[in-house]
Amino acid sequence: MTEYSGIRGTRVKYLSSDPTLNTSTEGQVWYNSTTGTLKSLVEIKAWSSGGSMNTARFALGGAGTQTAGLGFGGYIISTGDKNSTEEYSSFSWSNGGNLGTARRSLSGCGTQTAGLAFGGFSALTATEEYGGTSWTGGGALSTGRRNLGGAGTQTAGLAFGGQTTTFVANTEEYDGSSWTAGGALNTARSGIAGAGTQTEALGFGGYTPTNTAATEEYNGSSWTSVNSMNTARKYLAGAGTQADALAFGGITTANTNVTEEYGGTNWASSPASLSTARRRLGGAGTRAAGVGFGGETTTQVAVTEEYNSNFNTGTRATWSAGGVLNTARYALAGAGTQTAGLAFGGYSGTAMVATAEEYNGSSWTNGGAMGTGRYRLAGNGTQTSALATRGFAPSPVNQTNITEEYNGSSWTGGGNNAVSGSSSCSTGTQTAGLNWGGSPNLTSSQEYNGSSWTAGNTLNTGRSGSGGAGTQTAGLAFGSTTDTETYNGTSWTSVNSLSNSAAAGNGALQTAAIAIAPSGATETWDGTNWTSAGVSVAVPTDSFFVVGTTSLALKFGDNPPSTNSTEEWVASTLAGPTASTLTTS
Amino acid sequence: MALFIYGTATNTGKGFFTAEDRRAFFLRGFPADVWVVGNNEKGAMWLAEKNGVEKTKAEAQALVTAEVTAAQTAWDALSDEAKAMTDRPTDITLP
Repeated sequence: MTEYSGIRGTRVKYLSSDPTLNTSTEGQVWYNSTTGTLKSLVEIKAWSSGGSMNTARFALGGAGTQTAGLGFGGYIISTGDKNSTEEYSSFSWSNGGNLGTARRSLSGCGTQTAGLAFGGFSALTATEEYGGTSWTGGGALSTGRRNLGGAGTQTAGLAFGGQTTTFVANTEEYDGSSWTAGGALNTARSGIAGAGTQTEALGFGGYTPTNTAATEEYNGSSWTSVNSMNTARKYLAGAGTQADALAFGGITTANTNVTEEYGGTNWASSPASLSTARRRLGGAGTRAAGVGFGGETTTQVAVTEEYNSNFNTGTRATWSAGGVLNTARYALAGAGTQTAGLAFGGYSGTAMVATAEEYNGSSWTNGGAMGTGRYRLAGNGTQTSALATRGFAPSPVNQTNITEEYNGSSWTGGGNNAVSGSSSCSTGTQTAGLNWGGSPNLTSSQEYNGSSWTAGNTLNTGRSGSGGAGTQTAGLAFGSTTDTETYNGTSWTSVNSLSNSAAAGNGALQTAAIAIAPSGATETWDGTNWTSAGVSVAVPTDSFFVVGTTSLALKFGDNPPSTNSTEEWVASTLAGPTASTLTTS
Repeated sequence: MALFIYGTATNTGKGFFTAEDRRAFFLRGFPADVWVVGNNEKGAMWLAEKNGVEKTKAEAQALVTAEVTAAQTAWDALSDEAKAMTDRPTDITLP
């Protein structure tokens, strides 16, 4: 019988408990004598489909991360060099500002909001800086070139290798305004990929003109040859850092989908391969969370693929289908939770809606109708104790300040709001409510005590159609702009911002809010920071309503043409490294 | 190989698409019951299981455009007062 020690050269450890699980534990096998199980730690690696680029292209530049990527420039066979930029977030690409110089075979580095583009076909010196919306000119490269490598940031960039009329070895360092000479690569080459920073960079692959797997590390002044990739190739993409890098795609004798990971010493072939083998693609992100986009098969493609490699177990957060509303509508309001939700008001596309609907976690049933059907109203509270205020009311259409209270079966009039109009936001309870903002970007806030509204302090940022969460004395306002503010019952304080300016949502907790942008991208708030959930609703909208928290949320209603879709937030169950139990059959 | 499958299917509510579905393939819903699904085995299986009708991208786009156009026409017929308080439905281009 074959024994493990004969195969591996070591014996299986006999432990009373699992060891500390981290990257150094990967691949280890041990016997847990307490549970009587043979265990191991396995890192899971996979490529999965992302949203396709709006414009298929190849030989483009890339920057940023898997959740905030940037693709720019490139080439289309039928029309030539491109100047367009696209921003990637949560499965979706949106158009950004155009490069000043349309070009292909350029390189890039930095982030989605502070990107850097440089070089390009045939031997461009042009450098441009991206500020999140537009490109501005930067200092020119000393050596114009194409198919070069890049690393670093907008203010500490690195350009290396490439091609002029010959293969280039030289390196240039960017300080945010000008390029200066750095140390030369040991192997001059074109079609090279890069990763890392200006002072800790990694260059790998390319051709000399023979395809090469050569890898070099840069320390801020000179390059050192280190262990080569397993697959020599050119026109590949790279991501990550000098000690933790990712190489993928490119061309050997044919387009390849091979992916390799660099751990600071050696390259290891990943068991995961790109679904679409291609060359001249863009790359961004990290070794554990990379993204590849665009590229060339036999033509330009818009394909985007995301690479994930981690020890985590469980499932990532997402949105799943809930029961459909009985009356399709948008610009509605709501209250409650994912399992006891309430929808009311809104616009069907042809008429204002007065009907309320109650959600039990799987289906909607009609509740009492509001006295004043209206849309772009504000709502808060619970399914059995809700508050509706303001909005557009019919006959004739007017901006109303009417407030109504719901008791679980019917609506009765409350005290009129001090402020009229649409697109405000509310949070809190029926007897301690908080309402703020509204069209056109009002800064006022009002407090409700169960019978009348009194003025609160003004927001720091005027908002219309914003999201909110929390209570009258611990409120949260976000969206309409990227600014987020907290309310302590007396005053508003600006805190860390959203990534998506138009995001909106609603929730019960000041410290566990959820926001959705019109693109569908979802962000969660933990009381201090917004974090991209890396997922999108299935039906992106901009006139929906959200109730609940980051644990259980419900999104309902849809923008015109209105539909009845409802989606339920399924929170992440991802946990840290967990050992796998090995079985023998 | 095409990146997406296009089709129509009626949203039947809870369970129409699950968290597992969302993790397994790309899924986006559009007007006219049009769904865009990642072109892999699980995506294709989902559309079939939902009694979906597969469409070409052009056919799916035509359905969405017709729905949006109808909504735009309805909006155009509103009074100026009502128009001032609603948004004209915007054109939608499928991915």
